[in-house]
Amino acid sequence: MKRYNDIVVGSGISGLTLTLLLAMNGRKVLLLEKAPHIGGSLIRFYKEGVPLDTGFHFTGGFSSGGILADMLYVLGISDSVQPIFLPNSEANRFVFEQDGAVYDMPFGIDNCCAALCKYFPDESAAINEYFARVKKVYQSTVTFDLRKLSLSVEPIEEDYISLEQLLSSLTANANLKGLLSACCLCFGVPPKEVSFANYARVAVGLYESVARIKNGGEAFIRAFRERFAQFDVDILCNASITECTDVSNDIVGEFVLDNGDVMRADNCIFTIHPQEVLKILPREHLSKAFVDRVSSFENSNGFFSCFGVVKNADPLAFGPSIVSLLPCADLNTLLDPRYAGRAALGVMRSAEEAGDKTHCVITAFEPEFFSNIQQWADSSVGMRPAAYTEYKKRKTEEIARRVGNLYPQYREGFSVLDAASLLTFRDYLFSPEGNAYGIKQKMGQFNLFGKLPLVNLYVAGQSAVLPGVVGSMLSSFIVARSLIGKDKCNYFIEGRLSR
Amino acid sequence: MAEQTIINMVNEVFIDSFEIPADKLVPEANIFNDLGLDSLDIVDLVVALQKKFAVAIRDDERVRTIRTLGDIYNFIQLIKTEGNK
Repeated sequence: MKRYNDIVVGSGISGLTLTLLLAMNGRKVLLLEKAPHIGGSLIRFYKEGVPLDTGFHFTGGFSSGGILADMLYVLGISDSVQPIFLPNSEANRFVFEQDGAVYDMPFGIDNCCAALCKYFPDESAAINEYFARVKKVYQSTVTFDLRKLSLSVEPIEEDYISLEQLLSSLTANANLKGLLSACCLCFGVPPKEVSFANYARVAVGLYESVARIKNGGEAFIRAFRERFAQFDVDILCNASITECTDVSNDIVGEFVLDNGDVMRADNCIFTIHPQEVLKILPREHLSKAFVDRVSSFENSNGFFSCFGVVKNADPLAFGPSIVSLLPCADLNTLLDPRYAGRAALGVMRSAEEAGDKTHCVITAFEPEFFSNIQQWADSSVGMRPAAYTEYKKRKTEEIARRVGNLYPQYREGFSVLDAASLLTFRDYLFSPEGNAYGIKQKMGQFNLFGKLPLVNLYVAGQSAVLPGVVGSMLSSFIVARSLIGKDKCNYFIEGRLSR
Repeated sequence: MAEQTIINMVNEVFIDSFEIPADKLVPEANIFNDLGLDSLDIVDLVVALQKKFAVAIRDDERVRTIRTLGDIYNFIQLIKTEGNK
């Protein structure tokens, strides 16, 4: 029977981060992944030689002194994970299809504020107040400083105000409200359900800068793999825990894998979806209150995604950009599962290298809800019914049409290489409903994070603190601190940052 | 909200959600030493109380000073009164 200090379950960005942090601190770690390869939605796949990104397309937090840059530095992978910043002009565009209004948002929080004041001169007081509040939240969030990590963070006033409430108190301008709540598409929770504080914590990184990564999520995976080889890390793919046994005094002694193998470990940390965690925990050790809390979490939306390439375009004129097409200005409507109108669409453009060729890649993603494909939920990859194939074809054609209208100059050479529905994401990434951001992180909700009722089991991941790469990695830093010990971890982080 | 209603409803949470025998539920019972909850159960307790009483309970100083069942009765009474203002 193999023995480890820690077992990390799930190898998305959170699991990778946690594994490396623990291993760098002298621990013997087993990383378990249910899929055939590590990386989760960071994984790249190739169609006709063109590199395509499964689920990770861009991130904030890369500006100098930004939290992401700091975390990568501590992990020793900053040289391998290189940001490609979206340029400051015309690379971040919002199109309101209802009235044809087009807004180009620059990067840098003060630039954003100034640009919006120019677009909405009568609303400048509201705009200034909004960005002042965003900055206030950022400054009062101690967790954004790696030297001040903590599991329990004192909530602030803005944790109890919804984004909707805040915006409605500032302005009645629908397009302005739409622009100021557009980051909800990168969060998976509508303005009326997300706290202003959590929204601001995600938005501030995206206002400052948006970057793609050279070689996409694959760059992360490669960098982590190289680092793992230098430490005591075992990786097991196609593997998951089915049962926690040998429990005494609320401490789990043994972990039974789906292949029947039994592992012993001092701790086990789950970075997977909370509802998947619940399935593994021994029920007789859980209170009904705990089970009720975890069961009541709602899933975030996912994205119907189209992966395409433009054959005749010039890669040098194919700089990275994002266009957000919004059929209406109200994000509450666009993120409501019952909304049956035309969906929002994000269109990411970028030149991607593979071998000695550079490809002009367009990825388009549309928020989608599991209820819309529930009828085919029992089907699996390669065994989908005809009606589902028809749904996928119809959606793909419509998205291709919208991309063609957005970029008439690419219409000729544009072709869709692949498409993925929520069922595709569910079946390849093992997210329960193909959801992109784990559970919905709603205002006033107590997420699953840190220690579980069984005292040597922990939870981190994108459903724990904040969604996205930054929030997921941050949750792992915080849990690693609990496991390694506060003082030792502070010393470790301080030492790495001052190198 | 009548005091006895609050007491009964809080007790129901302990009986249903934490499987604690009704005869242990006296106001002076310490929720940690006498009822066997630990610090990790507090979040679940707060979530269960929120649902039972349809109130929003903030993670604030007042929650952290709760020690006995009687403290919870008083706390719920207080936030119910605040909510009705």
